[in-house]
Amino acid sequence: MAQQTTGKPITINVNGRDHVIDAPPDSMLLYALRDNLGLRGPKFGCGLSECGACTVILNGNATHSCIMPLAAAEGQKITTLEGLGTKETPNRLQEAFIEEQAAQCGYCIGGMIMTAQALLDRNPNPTRDDIKQALDGNLCRCGTHMRILRAVERVANSNPATGTGTKS
Amino acid sequence: MNEISPTLGRRGLFKLSGGLVVAFSLFNPADVRAAPGAAQAAGAGPIPGGVPPDAGELFAWLAVHPDNTVTLFTGKVDVGTGAETALAQIAAEELYFPVDRLNVVMGTTSVTVNQGPSYGSRTIRYAGPQIRHAAAAGKAALFDLAAEHFKVDASALVVANGIISVNGAPSRSISYGKLVDGKKLTMEIGATGKSFDMVVAPQAKLKDPATYTIVGTSVKRKDIPAKITATYTYIQDLKVPGMLHGRVVRPYGVGATLLSVDETGLKDIPGFVQVVRRDNFLGVVAETEWGAIQASQMLGSVLDPQSPTSSQAKWSDWNGLPEQDKIWDTVRAAPGTDMEVSRNGDVDAVLKTAAKTFKATFQTPFQMHGSIGPSCAVVDVKDDRCIIYSGTQMPHEARHVTAKLLGIPADRVELIWYGAPGAYGRNGLDHAIADAAIMSQAVGRPVRVQWMRWDEHGWEPKGPAIVQDLEGAVDHQGNVIAWRHHMWLPTSMDTRLIAAALIGKPDIVGSAGVGTPAITYAYQFPNTDVADHAEGKVALLTAWLRSPAQFETTFAMEAFIDEMAAETGQDPIDFRLKHLSDPRAIAVLQAAAKLYGWEKRPVRGKRPAAGSGPVTGRGVAWVNRDDARVATIADVTVDPSSGQIKVTRVVVAHDCGLVINPDGLRNQIEGNIVQSISRTLHEEVTFDRAHVTSRDWYGYPILRFHEVPDSIDIVFVNNTPEYPSYGGGEPATCPTAAVISNAVFDAIGVRLRQTPFRPERVKATIA
Repeated sequence: MAQQTTGKPITINVNGRDHVIDAPPDSMLLYALRDNLGLRGPKFGCGLSECGACTVILNGNATHSCIMPLAAAEGQKITTLEGLGTKETPNRLQEAFIEEQAAQCGYCIGGMIMTAQALLDRNPNPTRDDIKQALDGNLCRCGTHMRILRAVERVANSNPATGTGTKS
Repeated sequence: MNEISPTLGRRGLFKLSGGLVVAFSLFNPADVRAAPGAAQAAGAGPIPGGVPPDAGELFAWLAVHPDNTVTLFTGKVDVGTGAETALAQIAAEELYFPVDRLNVVMGTTSVTVNQGPSYGSRTIRYAGPQIRHAAAAGKAALFDLAAEHFKVDASALVVANGIISVNGAPSRSISYGKLVDGKKLTMEIGATGKSFDMVVAPQAKLKDPATYTIVGTSVKRKDIPAKITATYTYIQDLKVPGMLHGRVVRPYGVGATLLSVDETGLKDIPGFVQVVRRDNFLGVVAETEWGAIQASQMLGSVLDPQSPTSSQAKWSDWNGLPEQDKIWDTVRAAPGTDMEVSRNGDVDAVLKTAAKTFKATFQTPFQMHGSIGPSCAVVDVKDDRCIIYSGTQMPHEARHVTAKLLGIPADRVELIWYGAPGAYGRNGLDHAIADAAIMSQAVGRPVRVQWMRWDEHGWEPKGPAIVQDLEGAVDHQGNVIAWRHHMWLPTSMDTRLIAAALIGKPDIVGSAGVGTPAITYAYQFPNTDVADHAEGKVALLTAWLRSPAQFETTFAMEAFIDEMAAETGQDPIDFRLKHLSDPRAIAVLQAAAKLYGWEKRPVRGKRPAAGSGPVTGRGVAWVNRDDARVATIADVTVDPSSGQIKVTRVVVAHDCGLVINPDGLRNQIEGNIVQSISRTLHEEVTFDRAHVTSRDWYGYPILRFHEVPDSIDIVFVNNTPEYPSYGGGEPATCPTAAVISNAVFDAIGVRLRQTPFRPERVKATIA
């Protein structure tokens, strides 16, 4: 697709690889990921940082890509849902979501998984309250919450206790 | 990347779309098209794929591929309900075929039969038997082929997992795939009627349900692994060659006239293509999504528009909406016709003389579907033909509707269906098709339109505001002797299009419909007067939203009967049971009580002492929604000082007859419960005289993780083959508002008769 932009191309690191993006520096990261790189994990939900459907992990933190200017993402390490695992070899958290059948329409689920993954990376043994708190900014309209919680707990409970976590 | 290479053509499109890989790498969908051979891409006559297949042909339902996989074709769609997997189970069962080797193609109008829209908990109930019969006819046809192949009588054959053998001679066996050898299944199976009422393969001999091995098991959903690993293609993910990005710019006021469009600066936006303006329809088209967003923003598509003339598109100052805080007066005053639901005895006479009488009014606001993914469609209009890419819940209807909108014959329109974010009824998906069609027609290229969040919140059709008056009387023995329930119901069935109204042809497709009474009375009261004032559109555009109007009517009915139980000091379940004769209603109430561990006692309903901390209560309600019965019991905690309500525990007894996929149904029930708690506690569309003002998730909050119940326990009732499968997509939504209202009364002694039960309203009611 013809991109007509002003300014110089911007390099972002997505799922371990550098990509040169030809898009305006003030355009949002979400569109670079979806339209320039063809990724489908991050979704457009609100464009207002209110729903979490666009969540990616940026330098270890769950980040709403819909309000992050592309220029601000330059040089940062970005992980999308595609960076966790594949359909053939899903990562543990993805496996847990499949085991718990933790999706209905699934549109919010990419954001849920990325937010939960960032939590588990930071705290391998979160409690149910920790998980709820981490996911409170992610909206699900189908009402899959109970299953999402169970899926994250499935990983949290199978992780070796670290002693640093808040598991009670 | 989901880019479609033009050289692959439409066949390639199918190959690359999510979940269909196996089926179409081995099978050309054009083979099942019923289009005449003379079809051309331009000019008169049907386009290839312009006509759906004949329901009386086996190939309209099934294809068997050389690698011994099977494709089921259905006009039904799945936007998160699990219907895809459940329908696959029904087909696989009758075919004696492994469900994991059976793929499903849904919705695409060129290769599926119109089985009616996927709404109203009607997919398993109506499409289930159609598919069951088609698959049984398919199995018989395969047996005929095998009989010929082995030169034996079909009765000498046995089958397991899609391999047919001669009974007693297992070495003489052949797979379905080898037997069919890549051929189209051209057998005539017969079909009569249309849509939900279509009867398919009436002669087919069905499996004995006692021998089911796939139906009734929790087969894991086919779509979930792809959704978890970002390989599922939602309509929002689709890219087609040459596609442009469109955005709509809606009027400031709902009925405003477009005065002028100042295009200054638009050409400086990278990738900007053009403004599309037709009467009051305004859109922008660009090479890039970001370019389209930037251009639409300059013309006024923003979260908080300041005035009709504050952007480069200027609108007339339209203020035709009624006042929000008087909306129920407006609803009462709206024109309509009276429809009787139940009338017997003489309610007025009894009310005059009864020992105890009751009276209450229930008010419920406009609510929205609130899909997490804003509506999206890609439409390609050229040479008097149209290809629609959409996730609509009514693909076959959308094909006809779009043809009318564009003024081209329906047989020159094809809809290719892709999965969509949950819609929960008629949201903006069908309207986005119209927007994209108008823009594509203007620019001569495929256009992808995705609504911005404020387009979705602001313009998706809403569930209507409703007001209901109830009166009743109880005799000295504590029995209900009179019951009056009057409903003022604006339409939930408006099928007109936003874009059609904007181009000055509001009635070119669809109709406003009226608010028909969504209620089933199963109570046995000696004097009843139940009636609906059926109205058309009132204030905002409305359409069906999960359990249309029955969420609201159940709230009123089941909260009011609870008032009677409470005031007469009776246990609320016993009170219901003694007025019920429907065995399935009785069974779900008893099953819920058992699972909950219900101890009989009157409703408490004591006001908390001043300075009291959180108080707990329990509530019950039930519904008969389209022949499914659901009873729900919940515990709540109410904090009198903050007005916060927390639903802590939910128990559901659910009878929708034979369950196809237990875990899939549980997923739906949990979803209904959580969503309806959200609708009860939080949700209300706000508007001023010009437009909807709840245009994002702060303006229209929904339930968040910190508020979900600790547990939702579910028990199925009458899950046996003696009962047909009714629907499970909606019924469990209905009781929730009444359950919470009743539980709050049990806890703190106040009756909440207006949703949502936000903290400030709870506090005001206590005071």
